Amino acid sequence: MTVNDTRFFAQGNVYLPHIAVIEKIVEETPGVRTYHFNFKDEKLRKEFTFQSGQFGQYSVLGTGEATFCISSSPTRPDHLEFAVQKVGRVTNALSRLGVGAEIGFRGPYGNSFPLESLKGKNLVFVGGGIGLAPLRSLIWNVIDNRDKYKKIDIVYGARTPVDLCFKYDLESWGKDKTINMVTTVDRGDDSWKGKVGVVPKILEEIAPPARDTVAIVCGPPIMIRFTFPVLEKLGFKPEQMLTTLEKRMKCGIGKCGRCNIGNLYVCKDGPVFSYAQIKDFVSSEY
Amino acid sequence: MEQKLRQEAKTLLEQNKVDRIIGFEPGSLKFTATPLITGDKNDTERLIINPFIVNNLADFLTGIEGRVGIVAKGCDSRSIVSLIQDNKVARENVVILAVPCPGLIDLAKIERLVGKNRDELDDITRDGDKIIVTVDGKKKEFSLSQALFDHCLACELPTPQEYDILLGEPRPPAPELQTSGQNITKLKETLPTERWEFWKNEFSRCIRCYACRNACPACFCQRCFVEETEPQWVMPVPRWQDNLIFQIVRNIHVAGRCTDCGECERVCPVNIPLRSLTREMYNMVDELFSFKSGMDKEALPLMAHYEQEEAEDLFR
Amino acid sequence: MADKKVSKKDIARLLEQWSRQFTVFAPSKESGVAAMAEWDGKDTGFLDWYRNTIIPPKASFLPQMEEMFHFQKGEEGYNIKTPPADERSRLLFGVRPCDARAMAIVDMTFKDAYEDPYYLSKRKNAVLVGLGCTNPCESCFCTSMGTNPTDQTNVDLMLIDIGDEFLIEEVTAKGKELIAKTKDLKEAAKNDEAKATQSKKTAYDRVTRKLDTEGIKDRLLASFDDKEYWEQTAAKCISCGICTLLCPTCYCFDINDEMVKQEGTRFRSWDSCGFPNYTKMPMENPRQEKWRRVRQKVCHKYEFYPMTFDVIACTGCGRCIRLCPVNWDITRVIESVPDKAEAKK
Repeated sequence: MTVNDTRFFAQGNVYLPHIAVIEKIVEETPGVRTYHFNFKDEKLRKEFTFQSGQFGQYSVLGTGEATFCISSSPTRPDHLEFAVQKVGRVTNALSRLGVGAEIGFRGPYGNSFPLESLKGKNLVFVGGGIGLAPLRSLIWNVIDNRDKYKKIDIVYGARTPVDLCFKYDLESWGKDKTINMVTTVDRGDDSWKGKVGVVPKILEEIAPPARDTVAIVCGPPIMIRFTFPVLEKLGFKPEQMLTTLEKRMKCGIGKCGRCNIGNLYVCKDGPVFSYAQIKDFVSSEY
Repeated sequence: MEQKLRQEAKTLLEQNKVDRIIGFEPGSLKFTATPLITGDKNDTERLIINPFIVNNLADFLTGIEGRVGIVAKGCDSRSIVSLIQDNKVARENVVILAVPCPGLIDLAKIERLVGKNRDELDDITRDGDKIIVTVDGKKKEFSLSQALFDHCLACELPTPQEYDILLGEPRPPAPELQTSGQNITKLKETLPTERWEFWKNEFSRCIRCYACRNACPACFCQRCFVEETEPQWVMPVPRWQDNLIFQIVRNIHVAGRCTDCGECERVCPVNIPLRSLTREMYNMVDELFSFKSGMDKEALPLMAHYEQEEAEDLFR
Repeated sequence: MADKKVSKKDIARLLEQWSRQFTVFAPSKESGVAAMAEWDGKDTGFLDWYRNTIIPPKASFLPQMEEMFHFQKGEEGYNIKTPPADERSRLLFGVRPCDARAMAIVDMTFKDAYEDPYYLSKRKNAVLVGLGCTNPCESCFCTSMGTNPTDQTNVDLMLIDIGDEFLIEEVTAKGKELIAKTKDLKEAAKNDEAKATQSKKTAYDRVTRKLDTEGIKDRLLASFDDKEYWEQTAAKCISCGICTLLCPTCYCFDINDEMVKQEGTRFRSWDSCGFPNYTKMPMENPRQEKWRRVRQKVCHKYEFYPMTFDVIACTGCGRCIRLCPVNWDITRVIESVPDKAEAKK
């Protein structure tokens, strides 16, 4: 249960959004864009902090609010980022906004990746599609404090080469000699020279050892569903497997009732969970 | 009728002619029956037929897989036929157990007449064309017009025309259209401005529970227009404007499928007189198109087909 | 020891006195359905018909729809303003113990972690005057859910029916303060306490519906994956929202924006876990099937809420049983939940 963090309330009301301005738009894939934004209010811009894994409730005022994780790292706070896939009413409205447009932001909400417990460990990041967004915040966070963590494996995949998100990050991480970067696609194309195969299968091939390691998994439910058994086979215990869940959200603060998995609210007790926390109810997800 | 029903239902399951039986069993409240949906032949012992079997069981047909043996009163059978016309249900997948219906007792009317809630009554029985209510040991008699549902009073088909097994003596229709249509007649006698105020007031109470829609067999859309977000036709917020639009459009969508089973009005928890809208639409469909829903299995659905030889110039 | 009482025929005068300090809400059928409504200044006919309202009193703190804030789009961008906080001092007259307990249960969520300003601003200024039941319904099962028809636990004052009068039990400091300021109350007579005790016992005995909730949390946990059980249990449910919208312990809400030209409002309104789109995401819906939604409702009330707040989110008011179009009965369902040995995984 999180405490009443009132630091970033607008006008003292948890439901009121702050106004933020879109500063840059990056087309990640045909359906996915990253928005760079900053708060209109100077003071908030300087004071705002968050932790990797947390999310915000982003408004297109008049259309609605939607949930996206903060995909930038808190170690690089000159601006904030979130990634959007165009799939519904609010995301369609977002896609019609250009640089300079105003959006609403409430947050940061949720818990975060337990950095302290990751220090001194090997880390295996397993991501699929746009699921790399929350992982990305953590990966850059870890890279910016590299000496505190041991080995890093990143296994990331998408349906086709065109669907790979954050290609510029994949390139940077691929060049980093302290990181084992493995990219795969379900289906290649004529120019694709990398691995072909679904993420859980590639993960099984890579077979990272489980000792002193934590796996952090984020992607479409079907990917997660097949990844957990692979990790279990490799010897990972439920406490060694972390994931971030995604649910339809409205209030973002554990009141409106809808984002629960069992007795846990994804918005308030998550979105970061260990497999151990959710395994009793995980059948309702996948 | 009950004994025959139980026997037939059990046989259907035993002979694997159906996967499930949908009927009624005693409810957990006085004067209440509840739907029984089961594939277990032993459960058929619990099937009942009594003056309180109000639900239109056809409502369950579009959500259920496999072959079904379904208990149907006249109005229910019309809903089944309407679903068959719309290709939502295959005729060969239903075994219709027809209940010739003498009309059902409206507990809301009884409560108003007696001035007590239903659980404060000792007994309600029907003796021929009298309804006898026992309160505090004393008996009160009411006529059918006073005690039956308005839609039962208007019933044009007490005995299903389309059925597989007939459970009792067929009953001929004997509708009391004037009595049953009283509420509508009264409304039509008011000025449009008064009527508008009336409905505005009624729909201010609506809580958008969608029981009216969900209890209706004609509302079988997988995704209802109220749930669309692109575009958003109606706000999910329970303002009278949105509530009224929802109900009006619902009525238009079910025109030609509504059989006046009255469930929408019965289930409404805040007592909105929905049947005044649905029956009026039903009457309009009859006037304009000489069409009564669910009467003819071979007929094509009224609003979902057109002929090359259309009556309206607009379509030529 | 209650030492004040009021005659039933003096209730109008009492409410009138209280109206000077509070906005008084009392049971009313004026809207067409029994609900707590602003007292019209004279009607006390509800004393004759009132057993319980259809719309639960939670509507006073969590209304069916509520404006969260307004916004305007100007040349300088968006401007957001909250409507003035509703800090009216409300007095709810005639709250039944089941509903009062339900409000305390809902309070837990709205106070937990982030405080909900809309709910709490109304709630903190409210005085609850309870009215003990004399005629419980056949659908009531409060005595199995941690309360009883005359329980004073969650109200400021509790009125107990002792014939032509109500004995006034002062429960909280707020209640005592209110009575101290109230004129023209009668002094309780020596045998009124005994009359009250009898009235309480009679009401208690009239609750015939019983439910054994022993071990229900564990049974639900064991049966979570028993798809066959939940499909059978959910078979006759029609997925409307009646049981949840009218449940005094339910609080789920939806948030929506509306904008016309350059001005808009963000609303919140009642929502239900029974609706198919409640958890719908663009690419998938974890509760597409009806049995999952029915399972969610039962488990939330009898398993998840107890796991978080140590209390079952149900107070036995019976509205869901009375109003359900298909007579789906939570007490029958809870009784039937298989335990570990019987549950199929």
